[in-house]
Amino acid sequence: MADSTSSILARCKSHCVNWREWEFNPIVIKELRQAVRSWAVTGMLMLFLTVLLITSLALLVGQSVRVNEDVQLGVSMFQAFVIILAGASMMFIPLYIGIRVAAERVESSHDLLYVSTLTPGRIIRGKLYCGAYMALLFFSACMPFMAFTNLMRGVDLPSVFFILLFLFLVVCAANQIAIFLACLPLSRPFKILLALGGLFLSFWLMGELIASASGMMGLGLGSMMASRNFWIAALTVLVAGLIVTGLFHVLSVALISPPSANRARLPRLYITIIWLLGGLLNVAWVIRVEDPTLIMVWTMATLIILIFALLVVISNADDLGKRVRRDIPANRLKRLLVFPYYNGAASGLVWVSGMAASTFIFAQLVLTFGGTWYPTHYGMRGADREEFTLCTATTIIYALAYALTARFIHRKFFPKRPPQIAGLLTILLISLVAIGPGIVLFFLNQLSWKSIDGLQLGNIFNIYSIHEPSQQWSHLYVAVGWLGLMLAINAGWFLKQWRNFQPLRSSASED
Amino acid sequence: MKVQVKNLRKEFGKTVAVDDISFSFDAGHIFGFVGPNGAGKTTTMRIISTIEEATQGDVLLNGISVCEEPELARRAVGYVPDTLPAHADITVHEYLDFYARAYGLRGKKRKQAVEAIEEFTNVAGIREKHLKALSKGMKQRVSLGRALVYDPDVLVLDEPAAGLDPRARVELRELLLLLAERKKAILISSHILTELTEICNGVVIIERGKILETGTIEDVIKKSKPRRIVAIRLLEGNYHQNPQLLKELLQTPFVENARDVANEIHFDLTGDESAACDILGGLIAKKYKIIEFRQTKANLEDIFMNVTKGGVQ
Ligand SMILES: Nc1ncnc2c1ncn2[C@@H]1O[C@H](COP(=O)(O)OP(=O)(O)OP(=O)(O)O)[C@@H](O)[C@H]1O
Ligand SMILES: [Mg+2]
Repeated sequence: MADSTSSILARCKSHCVNWREWEFNPIVIKELRQAVRSWAVTGMLMLFLTVLLITSLALLVGQSVRVNEDVQLGVSMFQAFVIILAGASMMFIPLYIGIRVAAERVESSHDLLYVSTLTPGRIIRGKLYCGAYMALLFFSACMPFMAFTNLMRGVDLPSVFFILLFLFLVVCAANQIAIFLACLPLSRPFKILLALGGLFLSFWLMGELIASASGMMGLGLGSMMASRNFWIAALTVLVAGLIVTGLFHVLSVALISPPSANRARLPRLYITIIWLLGGLLNVAWVIRVEDPTLIMVWTMATLIILIFALLVVISNADDLGKRVRRDIPANRLKRLLVFPYYNGAASGLVWVSGMAASTFIFAQLVLTFGGTWYPTHYGMRGADREEFTLCTATTIIYALAYALTARFIHRKFFPKRPPQIAGLLTILLISLVAIGPGIVLFFLNQLSWKSIDGLQLGNIFNIYSIHEPSQQWSHLYVAVGWLGLMLAINAGWFLKQWRNFQPLRSSASED
Repeated sequence: MKVQVKNLRKEFGKTVAVDDISFSFDAGHIFGFVGPNGAGKTTTMRIISTIEEATQGDVLLNGISVCEEPELARRAVGYVPDTLPAHADITVHEYLDFYARAYGLRGKKRKQAVEAIEEFTNVAGIREKHLKALSKGMKQRVSLGRALVYDPDVLVLDEPAAGLDPRARVELRELLLLLAERKKAILISSHILTELTEICNGVVIIERGKILETGTIEDVIKKSKPRRIVAIRLLEGNYHQNPQLLKELLQTPFVENARDVANEIHFDLTGDESAACDILGGLIAKKYKIIEFRQTKANLEDIFMNVTKGGVQ
């Protein structure tokens, strides 16, 4: 860690000393040149301008025909422009950027872009900047029209800036998500499906945004800006957006890093840090509102992220390349500390379990002490707390048990196949246990609500549909027993991974 | 600059594309890399160029390991793939300029480097053309230019002559010789073996991921001696002596597989040239009217045909 900070410092220093030689990220230059030549971008820009022009003309003509003057003409024009701008920039730019990245990734077996001396981080950042510049292009093309609306009544400048800035940030976030989807190692049909899904998502998001923006404008955004709560809310949304975008950024960088690099470190570190900050923030919130049950927000968010992370982690390969092993610390204690942040399924499992255990313990501490400190506001009954505790604990333990089972099956039956099979197997097993009995009952003509609501040990979703504490406890016992069994079966594999986690030199001298 | 390939192995699932290959070559040398389709040439070259990662073994570029420090090794090696990726909406000049930037060339230096490379590879005339609109030969030049623009010490070319017209081939050969003069270590794979004979200092012949022959061209030719073929023709009208000659030859040392081929006797010589001399002397002493005694000179093509077995995995 100290090494990386000092290297960052050194880099900053050299940046400052060589500011005169500073140049744009090469990717940005290349992408912008390509965008300028691309008929897609030119055509879209033309279309955009035409639509803007026609809309403003139509609105103005409509106005002059009408007898009584529309006092809100400025607002309605502005809204129309925002809708057009949002449509053009939120649909087109992420799509364009995503397709360009995907095209380069498809050719990646040949493409030398990814083996130049550009770092993966720089490549992703370059693509992101390019998207931002394109968004700026569209925004500035829209500017004259927007300025025009300002001449009319009903629109105040701060609101305009606020809405545009917000829209711009959303476009950048959408670009990052598009880049992430394009980097996923999937075949073309899947990527097309993803692109369609992404388009629908951004369509929906756009609708929401426009609705809330016009709602706010209707309420008088300018006057709202004076209140403190408005800024707190805006800041919260901004921070949450940044965190999510950052996660996608980190994941994209990891995806385009070569397999031999320590790809796991950045995402795991990032998630650990936001987990920590999120926990602290949540506690601050708990103290402010004096309601300890709010810690559930952080706990549930962590649980969801960890289950996704578990699916990824279980699909990691075991063997560490020379390149990764080169910077494993020799000191045993240090090695133990950094182990969760190195490639591999075993280390990943340690990381996920560590995070889950810390979250669980921390949440319990907050609930216990919070209950004594803020007894008047403590909104949770004892039974609710028990249910919450049982559900979260059982879910993660089940998830771990399923993942270990899948890994075991992969190791025993398909050792030559890629480890991604383990991730797929986990999902398959979970869904099989969840819907398998239902299907069997259906064919036996015995399917009823009762059978779905009843206790189904091993079914991860069943925990949330039963409310009987004794049944929940039995779920927990089964989960713990199963996890224990899986740990015992996988212990040899796990120890081997730990033993292999050695710096390069010492093992070389052993040979 | 010394390039050492050490016990390289690469598996794709169950296929072993490269199986324990070792060889090395130096600055100023052009090294030929020969093998039938699917032998593992491209795979080896991609590993040397840090594009692919080896399952086992290593490649050292002046001591820098491509497994351990690919970022560092990458600066030292320029790879010319057999096809140029088709980037949309970018011109030749912009493409070269991008790679110069990507490898950290700045300002004036970059401008000069790109222009020099455009001159050198003779693409200055087409620098404003779109990459997608280029012909095969032009693409090959741009690809070479791309690999040279950051002035690497090692150059790895994957079948650069494929699809070029004869003039372009000669030009390419001259370019390569010039680059070798500039102390670059060059590895070149090709199916057109006769071309390599003229410019290569050494060759490696591989098949199914395994090395069959390696060394300088002369070495390899010498090593393939057992397969050297000698043809004997008797004076016209003396063909009736052929069966007798065949029998005679079969008892002579260093002779194998003597056979009658259209009024000529061919045999595989397992010894060196002085052995051939002795055989000829012996035959003349026995009053055979020999009018022709010639050795078919082995070139890389023959060696290639002899050494490889044509197996495809
Ligand atoms: N990405 C890959 N995935 C799976 N197998 C591969 C891959 N790349 C190469 N192979 C296999 O590795 C072996 C060697 O391939 P390679 O491309 O290195 O041969 P080559 O000597 O370059 O052949 P050619 O003369 O046809 O170019 C082949 O059997 C090929 O099928
Ligand atoms: Mg090839």
